Amino acid sequence: MTLLELKNISVHYGRIQAIKDMSFTVEEGEIVSLIGANGAGKTTTMKTISGLLNASAGSISFMGEDITKMKAHIRVVQGISQAPEGRGIFPAMTVLENLDMGTFGRKDRSGVSDDLERVFTLFPRLKEREKQFGGTMSGGEQQMLSIGRALMSRPKLLLLDEPSMGLAPQFIRQIFKIVTEINGQGTTVLLVEQNANQALARAHRAFVLETGEITHSGTGKELLANPAIKEAYLGVG
Amino acid sequence: MSMVDGPTPLHTAKADQAAEDRGAVGTPPGSSAAARRSGWFGGLGEKWQALPRQKQWLFLILVVILAYLLPIINPPLISTEPGNDFPLACQTMAVWALVAVGLNIVIGYAGLLDLGYIAFFAVGSYVTAMLTSPDSTFLKIPYLWTIPVAMAVTMFFGVLLGVPTLRLRGDYLAIVTLGFGEIVRILATIIPALKGQVGFQNIGHPPGTDASGIPIFSNSNGTPWYWLTLTILIIVLLLAGNLERSRVGRNWIAIREDEDAAETMGVPTFKYKVWAFAIGAGVGGLSGALMSGQVGFVSNAKFDVVTSILFVAAVVLGGAGNKVGAILGGALVAYIPLRFTSIAEYKYLIFGLVLVVVMIYRSHGLLAARQQLLAYGQKAYAAVKASSDAKAAKAKTGPGKEAAS
Repeated sequence: MTLLELKNISVHYGRIQAIKDMSFTVEEGEIVSLIGANGAGKTTTMKTISGLLNASAGSISFMGEDITKMKAHIRVVQGISQAPEGRGIFPAMTVLENLDMGTFGRKDRSGVSDDLERVFTLFPRLKEREKQFGGTMSGGEQQMLSIGRALMSRPKLLLLDEPSMGLAPQFIRQIFKIVTEINGQGTTVLLVEQNANQALARAHRAFVLETGEITHSGTGKELLANPAIKEAYLGVG
Repeated sequence: MSMVDGPTPLHTAKADQAAEDRGAVGTPPGSSAAARRSGWFGGLGEKWQALPRQKQWLFLILVVILAYLLPIINPPLISTEPGNDFPLACQTMAVWALVAVGLNIVIGYAGLLDLGYIAFFAVGSYVTAMLTSPDSTFLKIPYLWTIPVAMAVTMFFGVLLGVPTLRLRGDYLAIVTLGFGEIVRILATIIPALKGQVGFQNIGHPPGTDASGIPIFSNSNGTPWYWLTLTILIIVLLLAGNLERSRVGRNWIAIREDEDAAETMGVPTFKYKVWAFAIGAGVGGLSGALMSGQVGFVSNAKFDVVTSILFVAAVVLGGAGNKVGAILGGALVAYIPLRFTSIAEYKYLIFGLVLVVVMIYRSHGLLAARQQLLAYGQKAYAAVKASSDAKAAKAKTGPGKEAAS
């Protein structure tokens, strides 16, 4: 089943067009990666899907329903949750309070403790630090908190914006392993990355973004094997 | 001994020094700079949290009683007399504290820099003036009834200003609110019904006269006014405290810390920002109504930008996000020029210097916002603890059950 569908989306910042006529779909149960260089429009795409930015043309539908004009805080209730670029945690709140903020849009309060268990199982480090203030944690821990918080709304679609940004290699591997695990538990993941190697290896399908347009698409493995992509994004060939 | 005849201040000074030395011995020499810095005022918060509940209540009750008795005790060193009547000074301080508590909701909790808060103060003052002064042509109602009316009208103005402007952020919002403050002052000048510099005289006051037939709440009798304002301040403080600890307060903090993140958590940020603006405005209107009742006269002269900036200074000085700090900041900003009348001319120079010094040494204000689990978080924490304990218990008995089935 198609979970998310973007049709001919364009996004402008004032007069500058950041996304040009973009169309793609995300099927239920997939991990889909969007890779691209700086300024390719990756974060813009994410913000448009989560509702922080409005598309100037085109339509977005989620589970068959048109959400193009829907406000961001209502999209969360519908099942789209975002771990924003740069983590976006609340520094003056504790880990637990941060996670609790993630449950804001939920109607089933009874499921919260189960999801908290799940997040603590995925990220045992968060449990150790549950009373620590978000702002005092390391970058990797903040990234875990950001993903954990996004999971607390029990989303159908999880948007991860550059989860590897600024992290040490062993943290990056760990984060990607956990992303696969989250996907295995039934959450569809849309991932935006500069770290193309990991993002392609973990993805069912992937798209390459260049200056606001999709230039390549295929399964993760196909793109990993594509010589042009190898040269441009993987630093080999 | 000659010591006995010697000036006593010297003796106490020595004792204080000795006490300080003992205190200094208590702190290990290796303690970090941050810890030492917070020892001055910041340590207070931790010490306060460490006290048992009963002691906290006892201390609070004592402080409240002392606050009520302040104009009667008229403590010699603290008193603003002979320059200014002390009970009236207390009233001014209480009004400023109330203003700071209200503005703290906007700046401290929701993180919206409002430089035109004076506008709400002005609207509250004018509502009271126009509904009670014989100079206005509007219908007249008793003074105490104008207080809720003033609050309702200013809240309406808060929403009116908030809806178009709260889509802006940071600097842009500050500039627009600054403009709004000026617009209200200029409207008071040019709209004939608001009477510009002539203003409104003989503004109403609460009922009641003493034995000789003089109204209890006369313009020159500060004590009853101070008691009224202090009572309202305490009520507002309790309500603000409840808001702060509720989900609403936490959403405000989330918006303050990262508005986009709050929105992607499902918080309708725009709605909560308008709420913060409206509630803050309501408190501003309330303080305006109390001020105009006591002074008995309202004209456009008092509502200038400089006063608006002083309101912000009071919140920042006290510690944005901390309501006790706001009271301290508001009272101090009102008190200093009244107490030190000889330097009142230089008050902006002095406030400027004080703010610079405070921002260097205590960038979060005299009393920083509480860094502790908010009540909501504590509840969540308790719930998690309970569920994980239950899980652990199940895990223990789990294998047996599986074997049975």
